[in-house]
Amino acid sequence: MNKEELYNKVTSCLVEALGVDEEEVSIDSTLTGDLGAESIDFLDIVFRLEKTFGIKIPRGGLFPEHILSNPEYVKDGKVTPSGIEELRKNMPHLDIEKFAKDPNVNNFADLFTVETLVNYVASKLN
Amino acid sequence: MSFEGKVIIVTGASRGIGRAIALKFGAEKAKIALNYCSNHQAAGETAKIITESGGEALLIQADISQRAECEKIVDHVVNKWNSVDVLVNNAGITRDGLLMSMQDSDWEKVITTNLEGTVFLSKAVLPYMMMQKKGRIINISSVSAENGRRGQASYSASKGAVNSFTKVLALEVAQKGITVNAIAPGMIETDMSDLVRGMASKQILAQIPIGRFGNPEEIAQLAMFLASDQASYITGQIIKIDGGITLGIGI
Repeated sequence: MNKEELYNKVTSCLVEALGVDEEEVSIDSTLTGDLGAESIDFLDIVFRLEKTFGIKIPRGGLFPEHILSNPEYVKDGKVTPSGIEELRKNMPHLDIEKFAKDPNVNNFADLFTVETLVNYVASKLN
Repeated sequence: MSFEGKVIIVTGASRGIGRAIALKFGAEKAKIALNYCSNHQAAGETAKIITESGGEALLIQADISQRAECEKIVDHVVNKWNSVDVLVNNAGITRDGLLMSMQDSDWEKVITTNLEGTVFLSKAVLPYMMMQKKGRIINISSVSAENGRRGQASYSASKGAVNSFTKVLALEVAQKGITVNAIAPGMIETDMSDLVRGMASKQILAQIPIGRFGNPEEIAQLAMFLASDQASYITGQIIKIDGGITLGIGI
């Protein structure tokens, strides 16, 4: 599957899960900021990606909810150095270095763009 | 209300309220997965009636107090029918006794069956309901969730927890087109309540304003309504159906 096919299929998943129009989705759209995704939508996206591509995504494999909801890794709304380390270890598909500059939990969702999903699925398919 | 071809899972479907609910959907030509734990013969009879009335029935023996078995039920249904439209978490047990003399294993069995069975079956069906942007989860609770009797600490606690679970899950999945409600029956004529009714029939009847015990079909009517499109705006509710037993002060 080439990258364009992959992108089109990921877009269909997002259209279904988020109820957005296809035209609203571009490769650099952020899932929460631009497309309005909430926490349950992330699960919805995971299920649809699994089904569409026949892949298995471990819970917490794409979106690190288990890290960001762990008080050991988040203090005063910021991810702690040990939390950042944990993210580096578990989320190779994300630009953690960019996030580490201002590790406010609320900024984390901005790391997820449509391209993140495309790359993640591509790594799974390989 | 058309349920033709809809896929319905009913736990504890061999007898009592579960059986009545399964039969009601069966008469509407639904596809019904009948879960039962031990009474194969009774479950088989329920399945036979459903098939004869134009529905489809799938018998699934499983102990829902085991998490893996909950997943097994849903896998089985999805493999056969490819979706789940309605889940009725009906299976429940009692192991009554005063807390001080209650066996730990009895407490555990009641909580794992009544509460955890409901939780893990719901968890297992949600991905499928979310993908189709529609689903109904109906939990059979009890008026004992709020107003228990002596000896029912485990049963009441399990049902109270089912009520809380119902409300929070409803909040979590509402935007995905899934509703979650609970039915809280009062004293219904089933095998489960037989012992209590036998011991104190007159005293209990005196507390029921409508003056009789309920029957399982009356619960099934409400379950079917909650599963229907007519109930699309109802979610997170605990609906009592108890002949008014919880209205008075019991004197």
